[in-house]
This record gives sequence, C-alpha cells and structure tokens, in this order.
Amino acid sequence: MQINLRHNGNVIILDVEGNLVGHNTIALKNAIDDQIRESRGEPVFMILNLERVQMMDSSGLGVIVAAYASIKRNNGRIVLLNIGGNIRSLIIMAKLVTIFDRYDTEADAIASFL
Amino acid sequence: MGENKQWRISLSLPSTMQLIYLLDTVISDILREMNFNEEAQEHVNLAVIEAGTNAIKHGNKEDINKTATFEFLIDEDRLTIVVTDEGIGFEREEVANPLEPENLLKSSGRGIFLMEACMDEVVYEKNGTIVKMVKNK
Repeated sequence: MQINLRHNGNVIILDVEGNLVGHNTIALKNAIDDQIRESRGEPVFMILNLERVQMMDSSGLGVIVAAYASIKRNNGRIVLLNIGGNIRSLIIMAKLVTIFDRYDTEADAIASFL
Repeated sequence: MGENKQWRISLSLPSTMQLIYLLDTVISDILREMNFNEEAQEHVNLAVIEAGTNAIKHGNKEDINKTATFEFLIDEDRLTIVVTDEGIGFEREEVANPLEPENLLKSSGRGIFLMEACMDEVVYEKNGTIVKMVKNK
C-alpha cells in the first residue's frame, strides 16, 4: 500500500496505490487521521484518488466511512476520485452511493470544493 | 477438469491477517481456472476475503495457534467454499443490517452482508464457525 500526499490550495489529495483490503487499510486510516489531527479542528477538504486501487473490502469501506464521518463533523468534506467499476459496485451495494461524491477528473473534484 | 468430477483444494492458515494475501492468490487462480466471468470473480474474491477476515480476526481473534481452514470444492457448474474457524461462533440474527440508515456510517459490520450479497448461497453451521458459500456458474 502506497499513499502519496499532495495539496492543491487548501485541498488535500491522497493518491492511493494497492488493494484496500484487511491490514493494508491501516496505512490509509493513519494517513487520513494524521491530516485530521494536523487540521486542529479546522475543516478538512480531501480528495481520495483511488485510480490505482483494484480491490476494496469491508475494512476499506470502513476506513473511508470513518473518514467521512470525522471530516464532516468539523464541517469538512471528502470526495472520491477515479473509482473503478468494482469499487463503484461495492459502494452501490453498501448503499453508500448517496454519501460519497465521486468524480472522474481531478479538475472536477477540485472545482467541487470552490 | 473432467466431467462430473469434483476437485477439492484445501488451505489451512495460521490466524494472522498478514496471510490473507495467500487466500487472495489461491481463490484468484481457482476462479480463473473455472472461467467465471469478471464480475463473478470479483464477487467471489471479495466474499472469500470477508469470510477469511471473519474467521481469522473475529473467530480466532488472530490467535496464531488457531487455524482457519478453507476448502474449495470445484464442480463443473459451481464453486463451493467452506470456511472453518476455531472460535466460539456467532448468531447471524444478531448481526445488524448495515444498510439500515442508523448503521450506514458505522465503520464496521459489513463483512457478512457483502459475503451474502456476492454469493448465491451462504449457510452458517455449528454456530457460525463453519460457513459454506456457493457460487453457481
């Protein structure tokens, strides 16, 4: 699992590479928690780029749902970028499609925060 | 494989989540060999990972001295997967529905639901310490 952190203005972009399965998900959880902690209560605006994630299980879903809840609590927002067909169907299956905004281009995802 | 012949493949894992990738490797090869379509392969792969996680993490509590056993019964028209752990089991009826509005934002509790959504049949035996899952071709 590799996670690359970037910024575009006040938007945090996490590029995730690898399968979000089982213990692999801990690295993403830690990366998100670090950003929330560093925000010191200020709203966090985050894009999760999942272009290079082939597979996600319930542990992975749990991490992004927990991130959504934590970030929303401080009036921030997290969106998903470049999700593949299998992750899309997983999100639909778990009825989370109405919770997560999803974008196919980084420009659209960034624009959604303006 | 020959007609009407059932193949049986077994895998026993010490209960550490670090070995889940082995499960992924084995089931991926079996699914390719059986020529399941891509969507079915993704569904079965996910169900097996979820069942493995349940057996190792929740059943055996990641006790390295306990074993999670996976049997893959390969028939011409179906794949049956039997997952056994050494835990105390659970009551299926007591597992909350993760699709209920009050549960949607919970960070856990989706594993059983995903297994059942991805497979054609899921049966729990011996208090849930044995899980049988079937995918038809």
